[in-house]
Amino acid sequence: MTDAVETKAVGPALSITGLRKTFGANEVLRGIDLSARDGDVISMIGASGSGKSTLLRCIPMLEIPDSGTVTVGEDSLSPKGGRLTRAEEATARRMRGHLGFVFQNFNLWTHRTVLQNVIEAPLFVQNRSRAEAVDEATALLEKVGLAEKRDAWPAHLSGGQQQRVAIARALAQRPRAILFDEPTSALDPELVGEVLKVIRSLAEEGRTLLIVTHEMGFARDVSSRVVLLHQGQIEEDGTPEQVFANPRSDRARAFLSGHFDRTR
Amino acid sequence: MDFTFLGDMFASLLKGLPLTLNFWVLSLLGGGTLALILNLMRTTRIGNAVAGAYVFVFRGTPLLIQIFMIYYGLAGFGFVRQSFLWPFLREPYWCGLLALILNDAAYTSEILRGGLRAVPKGAVEAGRVSGMTRFAILRRITLPLAFRQALPAYSNEVISMLKATALVSTITLMDMTGIARAAISETWRAVEILLCAAAIYLAISLLVTRFSAWFERRLSPWHFGRTTP
Repeated sequence: MTDAVETKAVGPALSITGLRKTFGANEVLRGIDLSARDGDVISMIGASGSGKSTLLRCIPMLEIPDSGTVTVGEDSLSPKGGRLTRAEEATARRMRGHLGFVFQNFNLWTHRTVLQNVIEAPLFVQNRSRAEAVDEATALLEKVGLAEKRDAWPAHLSGGQQQRVAIARALAQRPRAILFDEPTSALDPELVGEVLKVIRSLAEEGRTLLIVTHEMGFARDVSSRVVLLHQGQIEEDGTPEQVFANPRSDRARAFLSGHFDRTR
Repeated sequence: MDFTFLGDMFASLLKGLPLTLNFWVLSLLGGGTLALILNLMRTTRIGNAVAGAYVFVFRGTPLLIQIFMIYYGLAGFGFVRQSFLWPFLREPYWCGLLALILNDAAYTSEILRGGLRAVPKGAVEAGRVSGMTRFAILRRITLPLAFRQALPAYSNEVISMLKATALVSTITLMDMTGIARAAISETWRAVEILLCAAAIYLAISLLVTRFSAWFERRLSPWHFGRTTP
């Protein structure tokens, strides 16, 4: 796809500095710094409750951080007090327009067909023409292997198919980066492969991806970088070889050995 | 059975049908609009309290008393008689319509609230991450999903309001029930007259039931095994 190339510009695709977030008395993120350049494929791993999903959700401000800065392209936000002002909300909307987000539970709009799901943002947020949006959506559905399902209802698709539609929907926004929040965790084991295959093809195209995942083998194979979170802080950050083969900390070693023992 | 009498009765009752339909449609439109506003108010704490109190009062008291309070009660207040609204509020038509709207809004707002609560959080989040404004999310995602969810309960309310319009006959209005009551006091043939009136209400209810079933299938075809729109 050419648009992945078009959007490349100077500076990182997105960056996060000093991010903190608490839920009640629970400090979920304790000062996170992370930045992704265009073309990076970053897997974020860690135990349940380590804060990786919260971190990902803070980027499009689905969760409002208590402090810290999130930058996407030219737009930057440093919300205070866990809420957004009206002006910040407008900035957040612009940032979201440059990001695709794929949820664990797909979150397709059940009252719209597959095609309608994919053309919604291009038509009603980005104000593109219907013909253009439909053409692009058709191509994207073909890319995720669901061209023949364009007029189906989400309720009639398997989990794996729904997730692939969700990926097409995210791509339709022509995002600079796509965020995946445990994209295969809600799927039956036999459906995981078809979704991972699509994500892998996006990585191979040179798209910028941030993936929160428990699929260690997948993370090792597709990522350019792996980030391991532990109790709201980044414990390891490096190439897959560095993190998986030679983790620096004991905690990382313990977490990884537990995982690879289980999956093999 | 005196079929000539029944035929005549049907004909004269049908003269009240336009007024019945008028009250019915306008109270549903007004009540629906007010119900939407009440639900939007619920997003703030004070608004939530006000909306809650409103529903409590109008759902907790008889519609007949509400009609009487507005028609007979408001005239007791000097400032109401001085206000620009008095030309309306002294008319039984506007008093009846106002009572029906206020009452319908209370019930409809609760039906809509149930529908709104049933909208999956994920569907709204998917709207937010696509960069939609709050209003766009409300219009494109939340309300369409809430409405589909609320439709079966709302069709009950629609039928309920049809029958509720009969109460305006108590404040001199000649809707179908008003005409029936007048005819009874003239002829004393209560059973035949009331059966005629009931049959007309029943026929309209049947249409509503059929329409709402059709509408539900049309809005949510995936629930009925249809694979394409």
